[in-house]
Amino acid sequence: MDELPTSPESATEDFLRLLGQHERHLAAFIYSLVPRAADADDILQDVKVTMWREFGKFQPGTNFRAWARQIATHQVLNFRRAVQRRPNPTLEDSFIEAVAAEIDRQADDLEHRSDALQHCLQKLSEAHRKIIVWRYFDNCGIDEIASRSQRSSEAVYQLLSRIRGLLNDCVSRQLATQNS
Amino acid sequence: MTDKNLNDRIERALEGLLPEMDCQALQAEIVSNPTARAAYTERAWLHSQLRAGRDRLPSLLAAPVTIRPKRWPIAAAAATLAACLTLIACLLFLPRHQPVPIVATLTQADNCKWAGSDLPTKVDSKLTTGTLALVEGIATLKFECGATVTLEAPTTLEVTDSMHCRLVEGTVTADVPEQAHGFTIVTPDIRVVDLGTRFGVTAGSTGNSQVRVFEGEVEIDGLKGGKTKRLTEGNALHVGSSTVPAGQEPTRGQQVQETGGWTAIPTSFGRGKDTYVRRGDNGAPLGTAPLLIVKHSEIPASRTNERRAAIAFDVSQIDLRKLTEAQIVLDPEPSGFGFSALVPDDSRFAVYGLTDESLDAWSETETRWASFPGCTDDGPELSQVHRLAEFWIPRGGSGSSLVVRGDALADFIRSDTNGLVSFLIVRETGETDHNGIAHGFASKEHPSARPPTLRFK
Repeated sequence: MDELPTSPESATEDFLRLLGQHERHLAAFIYSLVPRAADADDILQDVKVTMWREFGKFQPGTNFRAWARQIATHQVLNFRRAVQRRPNPTLEDSFIEAVAAEIDRQADDLEHRSDALQHCLQKLSEAHRKIIVWRYFDNCGIDEIASRSQRSSEAVYQLLSRIRGLLNDCVSRQLATQNS
Repeated sequence: MTDKNLNDRIERALEGLLPEMDCQALQAEIVSNPTARAAYTERAWLHSQLRAGRDRLPSLLAAPVTIRPKRWPIAAAAATLAACLTLIACLLFLPRHQPVPIVATLTQADNCKWAGSDLPTKVDSKLTTGTLALVEGIATLKFECGATVTLEAPTTLEVTDSMHCRLVEGTVTADVPEQAHGFTIVTPDIRVVDLGTRFGVTAGSTGNSQVRVFEGEVEIDGLKGGKTKRLTEGNALHVGSSTVPAGQEPTRGQQVQETGGWTAIPTSFGRGKDTYVRRGDNGAPLGTAPLLIVKHSEIPASRTNERRAAIAFDVSQIDLRKLTEAQIVLDPEPSGFGFSALVPDDSRFAVYGLTDESLDAWSETETRWASFPGCTDDGPELSQVHRLAEFWIPRGGSGSSLVVRGDALADFIRSDTNGLVSFLIVRETGETDHNGIAHGFASKEHPSARPPTLRFK
């Protein structure tokens, strides 16, 4: 599926190229399992380091994304297990495993959804674009958007949730059109 | 078709707004119910894609709006158009002209106490421009450009933008990756511009900046006559000459009766004394310095900087038989030497009592490394001293007084026969880099802080 690493000397180059191609996917995968932004970013760093360390074991030509997801799932579980007080550790582990497996299962479909999302973002109204930029590019929390836009936090949540709903519906429609 | 309520719970969970109990219920549902699992995956993936692809958003969204079907009142339309133009202008010039840009993230804070900060001080806080004042502890900021800056208390730092900060006062170390070259720290008297490095800067409120390069190279601007200087790996520069508070003739301290039956005797009382020595000492003895400085290193490059302190209290007027409890109180003061960030962990110190009383006569004005009581070059000489207690200073220091206590300490004092008890203070934790911190404690010559004090009852 992916280009093969050619020689041990170019392993670094191969790794960096593959990581570059798939980093966004890897990040999205971890973000889906770990909603807390700072934890997710820490884990992402660790995963990249582990992948580099383990890169020798990666079978050239096999699915780099699947390999990356496997390492990431393991790392997410380890990270969560290191947290001292978790309200329900067994449940949380099952949740992480279930969602990781679901993403694995739907990997191709989700990839199409990512492509469609780029298209759907351009259909957003100006006001909605602004909220998306604040939330994701400026990395603002709901409260900060609330103070920037002088709305209540609940109103911002409602709005943001509606925008994501619109995007999700648009993505689903795009996929339906492509498949028909 | 997924129910509205499920989507709402998923959306709230993604924003961290779902209460813990509901969150667990949702997780359980996702584990057991395939429909819920698919719905969560779809929504979470969308959210995560937006986060993971945030760098692409400005260019994507700067494209013209494609649909505008509704008929709006003219004023609203005009307002929208104006907003549109503003936003597009914003997006075109991102990230330099964001309204309130995130400049850095507070990624770590160990044993921290803050004062007078107009920025959030919780770990993971996103910081805009503003000031951080660290009173105690050690804290790390990651700037958006990738540079990491570690503050060592007491430090005041003004975060200017993602490539600049101003060290108002204190000590920072910076680790600057390649993409952030040009990262600049401004102090009251100079500007330190990174050229690909790890470096440390210490500055007083009136200047007197010191820069030390651990790795790579920095450029220093704003030197006298507008000069610029490049500083390379392993080198240091000290700018300005405002003087360290000079040792002053101390007023002799008093023995103080405290509440709760405690009596306090400072080293400045009676025949009390305090000093420190440095292995590489080539100048005068340090007994009249305002600080006692202690450092330990196994790194050859900093072997000569090994430092030990000795303190003695005059207990000649005390009825030692009645003594039941004893403490030694030390006031930590920044030594101005080295960087806390380069000492791996919390630092352990040991306190030894001088059991060979013939050595109690050590002199503050004459003691040097070679004549330091109760020690050989390697360390405490166990036939002359007894290890009584240990204490710890967290990374980044402790702003409050340190109290050393224990039965061994009380026993040792009770066994005194000559009215003078001497203690040695050594650090047992080494360092990972020869620029690691040297810990300072106020001596009896310190102009404001409390001298080492023996408390007992």
